[in-house]
Amino acid sequence: MHMNVQDITSERALPPSKTMLIPPSANMAQSSAQMTYTVGSTISDEVLAGFREWRIWTILGWDDIRQRYRRSVIGPFWITLSMGIFILLLGVIYSRLFHTDIRTYIPFLAAGFTVWGFISQTMNESCMAFNEGSRIIKQIKLPYSIYVLRVMWRNFIVFLHTVVIFIPVAIIFKVMPNLATLYVLPGLFLVCVNLIWVATVLAILSTRFRDMPPIVATVVQITMFATPIMYPVSSLAGASIIAEINPIYHLIELVRAPMLGTAPELRSWLIAGGLAVVGSLLATALLVSKARRIVFWV
Amino acid sequence: MVAIFLNDVSVNIPIFDVSRASLKKALIGRTIGGRFAQSGSHLTVSAIKNINFEAHDGDRIALVGDNGSGKSTLLRVLSKVYPPTSGTVNIIGNVSPMFDATLGMSMDATGLENIQIAGTIWGMTRAQIKNSVDDIVDFTELGDYLKVPVRTYSSGMMMRLAFAIATVRDPEILLIDEIIGVGDMGFFEKAFLRLRKLIERSRILMVAAHDDDILRRLCDKAIWLSHGSIIDFDDIDTVLAARQHDAPAREAAAS
Repeated sequence: MHMNVQDITSERALPPSKTMLIPPSANMAQSSAQMTYTVGSTISDEVLAGFREWRIWTILGWDDIRQRYRRSVIGPFWITLSMGIFILLLGVIYSRLFHTDIRTYIPFLAAGFTVWGFISQTMNESCMAFNEGSRIIKQIKLPYSIYVLRVMWRNFIVFLHTVVIFIPVAIIFKVMPNLATLYVLPGLFLVCVNLIWVATVLAILSTRFRDMPPIVATVVQITMFATPIMYPVSSLAGASIIAEINPIYHLIELVRAPMLGTAPELRSWLIAGGLAVVGSLLATALLVSKARRIVFWV
Repeated sequence: MVAIFLNDVSVNIPIFDVSRASLKKALIGRTIGGRFAQSGSHLTVSAIKNINFEAHDGDRIALVGDNGSGKSTLLRVLSKVYPPTSGTVNIIGNVSPMFDATLGMSMDATGLENIQIAGTIWGMTRAQIKNSVDDIVDFTELGDYLKVPVRTYSSGMMMRLAFAIATVRDPEILLIDEIIGVGDMGFFEKAFLRLRKLIERSRILMVAAHDDDILRRLCDKAIWLSHGSIIDFDDIDTVLAARQHDAPAREAAAS
């Protein structure tokens, strides 16, 4: 269904007093049919069942990648190549700009930027999760989490194609793997858990409010500059609080630090872990409350 | 046991595209298809209203009615795609909807890859897909074309493949929205036979279509819908005759 942006904005611009007098779709919320849809069964049907149906979202995610690169000679390795060129160029220029040693700067940039690419692209693409699945949503009942996990899986595959660039970088600049490198696995796991809940929230909001995707794109772009990705946190000097209060910084650190051979700080674990728990609860609550409406929004 | 119980089921579909007051008024004044109504801050269309019926093991039910009478909405309620706005839906048995046979077909994947993708979306297990590949390949008569991307197919070839994949399942409650022609006439009979076998495997069938002759060949009962309400639910010949009888009156009302 095509959606006119102007219609949505004018609808949202209705004075609040009007919606206070007549609660929107109040009659829809108090039906006897509601009785059969308990919170527990909705969590099980819409959230957990989606993880069990992994075959569907993995095959859809792979097909998305295939569609992007069908008939291209090196296929998804274009992602690897473009990331490699980007890091090389930016590494040479920015290491001079920031007066840092290129031998530490390029590994730092390669690790941080690939993780950021995973986070930012997943957030942007999650806005369209339900819209790109609308044909399926209108025809067969599948758990809504499937469409979010499909976006996650597709971007995880892309991430794997970009992160390989770190291997030659590590060899050239002699970044030696050690025991701390193993922290990459729990770090990546926490990044994924946080991305799943963020993607779920963004998918629901963007489906209902079509102005969300450009807003998300703008916020993501600004976040890239506000987060120590292309510059080390030390260069913020006295203003390092900007990084410390930024959860994205801690998420990136959980993967970047182990890649560079150091253990992430404890508070990064605590912030990312706490966020994962609170966010997952929030996303689940939102999905449960809107699960009966999404099909009418796509 | 397989059964369907619908008790006083209504579905209001919110429309977000239309929110300008003038357009709203213009639409509310019209009564084609479903009825428009104002619900809270946005416009809704009452797609089906106070539907009551039961279906039991062995029922073969045709859904007839004009465009916009609520046939597809009713099927989407039964398939759990649309939650009812009010009323209760009680379905015993697995529901197997077949609304658009081309669901899950990926243009850039080969025919064989599409069997995997579409089969998975239709809910088949890996073993079921593996076991039915030969059957699908035989039915489509597409041979080596199955090794090239579906994008290169003619629409008829594409329909054959999609139809073949969509009809391998073992449904308990089979829901079909529109029976579409599959390729040339010679192939149509073959496809119809396959559809018939699928229906025979099902315990309850509900099918919406506009072709009365096809419906007579597949169903023994019929539900006649108009403006989202059930006008009649009886054996198929009675319902189709009643609808035929009503046709001149409807045409007169329309002009």
